Amino acid sequence: MIVSAFDLVLCLTLVWLAWHVLVSPDLFRAVVLFISFGLLMALAWVRLLAPDVALAEAAIGSGLTGALFLSALRRLTPGRRGERRVDRKEGGDDEGL
Amino acid sequence: MIDIVGTFFVILGIPFFLSGTIGLLRLPDIYTRLHALTKADNVGLGFIILGLAIQATSWFEVAKLFLIWFLVLLASATSCHLVADAALRHNIKPWTKERA
Amino acid sequence: MTTLYVGLALVLLFSVIVGLLRIMWGPTAADRMMAAQLFGTCGVAILLLLSKGLGQLIVEDVALVFALLSALATVAFVRRTWTKEGPRQTKRLDHD
Repeated sequence: MIVSAFDLVLCLTLVWLAWHVLVSPDLFRAVVLFISFGLLMALAWVRLLAPDVALAEAAIGSGLTGALFLSALRRLTPGRRGERRVDRKEGGDDEGL
Repeated sequence: MIDIVGTFFVILGIPFFLSGTIGLLRLPDIYTRLHALTKADNVGLGFIILGLAIQATSWFEVAKLFLIWFLVLLASATSCHLVADAALRHNIKPWTKERA
Repeated sequence: MTTLYVGLALVLLFSVIVGLLRIMWGPTAADRMMAAQLFGTCGVAILLLLSKGLGQLIVEDVALVFALLSALATVAFVRRTWTKEGPRQTKRLDHD
């Protein structure tokens, strides 16, 4: 009974989160919502009796992909100082941090 | 008896998580929210892990539970310092009663 | 036993769902990121309670990976996204 309630709440939250990841106008908010989605998806995999998939989801889905998205988000703002761009001659810029 | 004490500690941890969430929603600025957040991380999870470790069946499980707690402590302390430092570098002023 | 522990996990899940509001509102980027960090800790607690309540000891390993990787996103955020010239510049106040 209580287990079914847990599953139901988890499913509804996952659907709501997935929808808001897709429609969010703010990219940063979408990334943070995606990280939360990965965390809750790992819970869902545990409830589906697949702890190995939950391990992969926690490590890759929310941890690694979240960090990569956050890193990529910084590259999306055009024309900042210290950025290496393909349409510009490169020289003496501080790459990375 | 052991089960009752363990369950007591697990239930004791829940209010700290709830207060962490309430603090995240209600407190006025970044620094005070960080404060609420670390209470949930450290004390709430600490009580839950203590309660589960009391009921654990093997020493290996106890060691694993406390390893989890240690990692969360390390992660929350590190990231809270990083966020607070970055907020200060962004010139976000701490909330005071007069400026509110 | 199962009812109690899964019930407590459900309470924590509700607390996560309420915390989603801070991600939706969050005035600055750091507020959103902190909410995600709270979800990581709540996720560890939910997994441990589920592991106890449903008798699946292997789930504790998933909680271990959660704990191990919870700092990764925040560190990437502080070092990569929210740097001084980051995409979401917060409103600049006067210097100290």
